[in-house]
Amino acid sequence: MSVQWLAVQSFQHNQELLAAINKISIHLRLQLEGNEDSERAGEVNTARELLSSFFRELETLVIVTERGEEVPVLGVNPRLRQLARSFVTAKRNSHRFHSSLFRKGVTCFQQLLNSDRREDRTAILESLEELRVLLEEHMHVDAERVLGEI
Amino acid sequence: MRDILRQNNADLLREIELLRERLEKAASAIPAELQSCHDWIISFCAQVQATARQNLADLNLGIDSILPYILSNTQVLTRHVRLFNQRLVGPILRARDSDRLCLKVLRWIHSSHSLTQHIPMALSDGDFASWPQLSWPTIYFMPPSAQHRLLYLPLFFHEFGHLLYACHEPEMDELVKALQSRIAQFLEPSAQRDDRHAQAEAKRRSVIVETWYEWTHELFCDAVGFQMGGPAYAYSFSMYFRALMRDQYHIRPEDLEHRDHPVTWLRIRLLADRARRMKFGADAEALEDTWSKIAATMGVVEDYYGFYIDKFLPSVQQTIDDMIVEAAPRSFEAHEVSTAELLRIESAPIRSSPVQLLNLAWRKFLQDESEYSAWEQKAIEGLLNDGT
Repeated sequence: MSVQWLAVQSFQHNQELLAAINKISIHLRLQLEGNEDSERAGEVNTARELLSSFFRELETLVIVTERGEEVPVLGVNPRLRQLARSFVTAKRNSHRFHSSLFRKGVTCFQQLLNSDRREDRTAILESLEELRVLLEEHMHVDAERVLGEI
Repeated sequence: MRDILRQNNADLLREIELLRERLEKAASAIPAELQSCHDWIISFCAQVQATARQNLADLNLGIDSILPYILSNTQVLTRHVRLFNQRLVGPILRARDSDRLCLKVLRWIHSSHSLTQHIPMALSDGDFASWPQLSWPTIYFMPPSAQHRLLYLPLFFHEFGHLLYACHEPEMDELVKALQSRIAQFLEPSAQRDDRHAQAEAKRRSVIVETWYEWTHELFCDAVGFQMGGPAYAYSFSMYFRALMRDQYHIRPEDLEHRDHPVTWLRIRLLADRARRMKFGADAEALEDTWSKIAATMGVVEDYYGFYIDKFLPSVQQTIDDMIVEAAPRSFEAHEVSTAELLRIESAPIRSSPVQLLNLAWRKFLQDESEYSAWEQKAIEGLLNDGT
C-alpha cells in the first residue's frame, strides 16, 4: 500500500495555489498597465480567498516551526510541515527571498494582499513571485512522485 | 516568448479536443460503474480548454509584463493535463469487462456513505493505493492479478478510509493532534536537563510525535477496513504482507523516522486488538500467531525503538475509535461475518453488500485452499450476473 495520496493531495493543492497566484498577478499587472481587467475581478476574489486561507494555515505552522526542531508540528501532514520549514528557511535567506512576505511575515502580507491601494501592487506582485518560486521548488518532490520522470 | 506560449496552449487545446472525441466515442462501451467518472472527465476537458483559451486571450493582449504569469499558468495546465492523461483517461478508454468485479465492489463502497456516494471513481493497475481527491474522481490502484479474485478486494476498504479522512480532514486532524500531544506527554522525561544530549533527545521525541501523524492516518484506514469488512479485511491484509520481506516485521530505528506507515507487525497487533475488542478473539489469535511464527523463523525480535510503547495503546485505541465515529463508515452486519452463518451457505449474492461474500471467500480459503479456486470462479460469476 503506497502513500501516493500524500503526494497527490500536496501536488493538487500546490497547483491550485499557483493558479491563484497567477490569476491575482495578471490582474494586478494589467491594472498597473492601465487595464482595469474587470471581467476577471470575481475570479481574482476567489483566488484571494484561497490564498488567505492558505496563509492562515501557514502562519500557525510557521510560528511552531520557528521554535526549533525540538518542538513537533502537530496535526499536520508531512508535506505541509515541510512547506512551513522551507518557508522558515527562505525567510532566513534574504539574498534570495527579500519581498515583503518573507521580510515582514505572513500576517503583514495577508493585510497587504487585500489592499486596493495602487502603491501596494508592486509589493504584492514581488511577494507572490517569490511565493511562486518557493511553491514550485516544494512541489518538485510531489510532481516526481505523481508524474514520474521522462 | 509569446509565440512559444501560443504554440504550447494551441497544442494543449488540440490534445484535449482529440481526447474528448475519443472519450465521447467510447461512451457507449464503458461499464455503467464508470459513467460518472466519464462524465467528470468530459467536463474537466471543457475546463482545461477554457483555461487554454484564456491563456491565448491573455497573450493577445500584447503586454510583455504578464508573460511570466502566462508561462506559469501554461505549466500548471500542462501538469494537469499530464496527470489527467496518465491516470484518469486510461481507466476509461481501456476499460474492460473484466474490470467489473472491482468496479462493482468500489461502486458499492462509495454508495455506502452519504459523503462519497456522488464521488466518481476509477480503477487502475498498480500496487494497492488510492488518490483520494475531493475535487477529482478517486482512483483506486490494484495489482492486475488481484483484480480477478475475491481475497484481496477487502483491501479497498482501507483505501476508502483515505477518502473518508479527506472528507472529514479538519476534524480528523484535530483528533490526530490530540493524540500526538498525549504521545509527547508520555515521552516527556521525568527530569529536565539542558545540555546537548537533552537537545538531541528532544529532537528525537519530536520526530516520534510527528511520525504519529502518518501512522494514525494509516491505523485509522486499517480500522475502517475492519469496521467495513470484518475478519475478511484482517486476513486479506495479513496475507498480502506476511510473506513479503523482513521489513514488514522490523525496521531500523533511523528508518522509522517520519516513515509513512507503521511497521506492518505493529499494524497487525492493533488490528488484532480491534478484532478482539469486537469479539473476534479466535481470528485475532490466528492473526498474531501467524506473524509471530514467521518472525520467529526469521529470528526477528519485535522492537519499535520507542516509536510505539504499550502505554500508548489506550490513547491510540480511543483516538481511532473517535475517528471511526466521526467518519462513520458502514459497519459490517453480524450475518455478513458470523462463521456459523457463513458455513451454512455456499454462495452469497452481492444484493445489499459484498461483505458477506468476501468473508465467505476467506472462510472457504482457510477451510480448504485446494478446493477454493473452483468455488471462487463460480462465486465471481454469480456476483457479476446477479444484476444489482
